[in-house]
Amino acid sequence: MAMRQTPLTCSGHTRPVVDLAFSGITPYGYFLISACKDGKPMLRQGDTGDWIGTFLGHKGAVWGATLNKDATKAATAAADFTAKVWDAVSGDELMTLAHKHIVKTVDFTQDSNSLLTGGQDKLLRIYDLNKPEAEPKEISGHTSGIKKALWCSEDKQILSADDKTVRLWDHATMTEVKSLNFNMSVSSMEYIPEGEILVITYGRSIAFHSAVSLDPIKSFEAPATINSASLHPEKEFLVAGGEDFKLYKYDYNSGEELESYKGHFGPIHCVRFSPDGELYASGSEDGTLRLWQTVVGKTYGLWKCVLPEEDSGELAKPKIGFPETTEEEIEEIASENSDCIYPSAPDVKA
Amino acid sequence: MQTPVTIPVPVLRLPRGPDGFSRGFAPDGRRAPLRPEVPEIQECPIAQESLEFQEQRARAALRERYLRSLLAMVGRQVSFTLHEGVRVAAHFGATDLDVANFYVSQLQTPIGVQAEALLRCSDIISYTFKP
Repeated sequence: MAMRQTPLTCSGHTRPVVDLAFSGITPYGYFLISACKDGKPMLRQGDTGDWIGTFLGHKGAVWGATLNKDATKAATAAADFTAKVWDAVSGDELMTLAHKHIVKTVDFTQDSNSLLTGGQDKLLRIYDLNKPEAEPKEISGHTSGIKKALWCSEDKQILSADDKTVRLWDHATMTEVKSLNFNMSVSSMEYIPEGEILVITYGRSIAFHSAVSLDPIKSFEAPATINSASLHPEKEFLVAGGEDFKLYKYDYNSGEELESYKGHFGPIHCVRFSPDGELYASGSEDGTLRLWQTVVGKTYGLWKCVLPEEDSGELAKPKIGFPETTEEEIEEIASENSDCIYPSAPDVKA
Repeated sequence: MQTPVTIPVPVLRLPRGPDGFSRGFAPDGRRAPLRPEVPEIQECPIAQESLEFQEQRARAALRERYLRSLLAMVGRQVSFTLHEGVRVAAHFGATDLDVANFYVSQLQTPIGVQAEALLRCSDIISYTFKP
């Protein structure tokens, strides 16, 4: 029996979701942070999408958000000209780092001791989180606002993207090593440490480059302008989303389009695979995050595969099912399940 | 061209959203062991507390826990054990001030499903739910 993807919608934000990031896998599972133009980034349990808390404090749209590897700290970049570091367990604000313009991107080093920031003032800044009052180290060179900045090569190098260039910098010498030029606006960048792969999206292209040399590996064209793409940890698939509100899943090796999903009501701004590759999350202009299964029909998180033998031999009717349709319909079904009697036997443990 | 018959992947429930009244980060959440140890109550150096005072504090704590458990139940599927071995399930809505009645919806009874109902607490022997 063929299964149809059931996306899980995480509501709570009131404005477009512009960035999202997963933590690493921790003893408590993995976590997801979402940046939103409503200024209130949220932390969620990564495998279920359950809301854990909201980081309150920013006075403007939050453009970038990230978690450190063990999800004990969070960092956010906002239009109020600050980047903030938070305790991701208690939700308390730990420090506010003042900038001279809108901050767009933040990234922790592997040991969480340093924070990289970048924004509209065209400067990359490196803060020592053990000495937040100290002046950050600054790297200049970009000629337009920085959209994304990432540590790479075990924090020995920095990758940064502005409107039309992607640059590689050496951390120790704070100098530019190499740069790539594009004739279209770069919409997103993702760094995959295992294999040193850089995923860059611009126009309808999804391009893969070596993060060490910036040499191109391969690229695919999507049917519409892509805003974000993510490569599966095992590098079998990639997912991408953009202006046509749809999510696309491709085979990384062949470039073949495997699946595509409608569901969001606005352009998709960000998409990321979970650290275990079992699901991917998408954030949209419609203010929601959606979680999608990598392997449709697998029992994982809140998705539960129901076998056809249960019931009175009737053709497999999902015990608790949500057709892949509009949000309103899903809400409706969740609240008036009058025909469904819940299963008494199987363990309904998430 | 035949479209294959597909069924949507079943889901246990939808992801939980914000509770609407707090910023979250529940102190008793999954990651409570990671929180720094904070002394709960600032104790004045009183040599002995009267038994009555201790009892009152215990009562207040238990009452607060119970009220919080009721809050946690809102919107969830709850199974009630009533008199005469009757068991029913429903979505918990609210309770009244004295916890004398539970307002529930989608009450599944042996004779059908009631969209909205009031369960008299004096009729309930026990109830259980999974948070």
